[in-house]
Amino acid sequence: MRFAAAGKSLSRALIALALLLAPLAAFAQTSEPLQFPELTGRIVDRASLLSDAQRKELSRKLEDLETKTTAQFVVVTLTSLSGRTIEEYGYQLGRRWGIGQKTTNNGVLLIVAPNERKVRIEVGYGAEGILPDAVSSLIIQRVIIPKFRANDYAGGIVAGADEIIKVLSGGGEEWKRPPQQGQQIPDWVIVLLVLLFTFGPIFLAVLITWLTVRSITRSTIHGQKQKGKKQQTFWERVNSGSSSGSSSWSSSSSSSSWSSSDSGGFSGGGGSFGGGGSSGSW
Amino acid sequence: MAANAANFFFANAVRIRSLGIVALLALFTAGCGVNAIPTYEEQAKAKWGEVQNQYQRRSDLIPNLVETVKGFAQQERDVLTAVVEARAKATQIRIDASQITDAEALKRFQDAQQQLSGAIGRLLAVAEAYPDLKSSQNFLTLQAQLEGTENRIAVARRDYIEAVRIYNTELRTFPGILWASTLYRDAKPMATFTIPEEQMRVPNVKFTK
Repeated sequence: MRFAAAGKSLSRALIALALLLAPLAAFAQTSEPLQFPELTGRIVDRASLLSDAQRKELSRKLEDLETKTTAQFVVVTLTSLSGRTIEEYGYQLGRRWGIGQKTTNNGVLLIVAPNERKVRIEVGYGAEGILPDAVSSLIIQRVIIPKFRANDYAGGIVAGADEIIKVLSGGGEEWKRPPQQGQQIPDWVIVLLVLLFTFGPIFLAVLITWLTVRSITRSTIHGQKQKGKKQQTFWERVNSGSSSGSSSWSSSSSSSSWSSSDSGGFSGGGGSFGGGGSSGSW
Repeated sequence: MAANAANFFFANAVRIRSLGIVALLALFTAGCGVNAIPTYEEQAKAKWGEVQNQYQRRSDLIPNLVETVKGFAQQERDVLTAVVEARAKATQIRIDASQITDAEALKRFQDAQQQLSGAIGRLLAVAEAYPDLKSSQNFLTLQAQLEGTENRIAVARRDYIEAVRIYNTELRTFPGILWASTLYRDAKPMATFTIPEEQMRVPNVKFTK
């Protein structure tokens, strides 16, 4: 009885396993395995779209970007997408190479597949905030694709990479302008700051006068002798207050402890990707 | 005196040996995959959280999309209300990580999301007829965001399917099946997506400029 039950559950487990594996086998048959090129540097130009000089120049810019911001940005050109969409290929390539730092996932790939006529900016989890999909889309539509259409692949790649570098370095405001919401808040802040700087001193002057008058009237009530002393302590207080106030305005720049020690070999920092970015075709 | 010392030594040796056995046992069982089921379970749950997140993200984009289209194509009321209703229905069905063993609930979830995909697809198709809308900066931005979100959904779904496959396989294959039938009796196989990804995706409407 027990044996029969055990046998039954075992055979059930085997059937379940077979059922589980069957679709896998089918999957393996229908699509060819993904082929990933080797990560040979910050520029992996498998489709040979760039000249040596361009490669060197762009590679230097990408290295600069990493030392400045820790963001890893790799440019890839491919001869084939192994029969996948560029979206499906892109994030898996990024994960395989581990582009971006492990803790911040700030990796970006610019992928060009000239045979499929597809281009994609693949953005790691951590870089999605600084390089949103809409910005990637605009860079592809307005900078890269017009050049690609004119058969200027190298020009498109270099110009597109330049814009991405600009955005990743904290610039590229022209790409972020479009949505109206983004502009309202800075305007409001600027108005407030202007008001603060113009009316702030007046308010302070009024306050100081009021305090001085009050301290004088008080000291006259308490006695003529202490008047001078009391006034001085008050001004001392004001002085020390204003000096500490001005020092708090200086922004403390956080120095990043991260440094790229090896200039020769390049490897991914272990960042991951979740499908952020944008694609285009020409 | 001597006997006492020997006794003490002996007792200590026994204690050390038993400690050693316990440590070895712990190592052995850990190596044997006693932790595998809970580990894979947590991983699959985390992946489900990501799926849920990305669908939520899409849902959050819709009010803005509807407003933008409304501004240019007021007369397309039917399509617009269809999107709003599909969104309301889809946001009602939420599945938290403890419910992912329930295949029925997951099916309801993906049916609702698929309805929403269809409604968004129709809205984008309708937008094709309005050149002003198509070229509006707001709409282009939203479209890029929507595409990006669709792609993130696809990635999150694939990651979830893979995590569930690993977990379910662990439950049903050799070292795991022992632990599943003894220590983790309440561990049930998780449900996975049945509707193919292509059908879930919003149809890609290409705008010709």
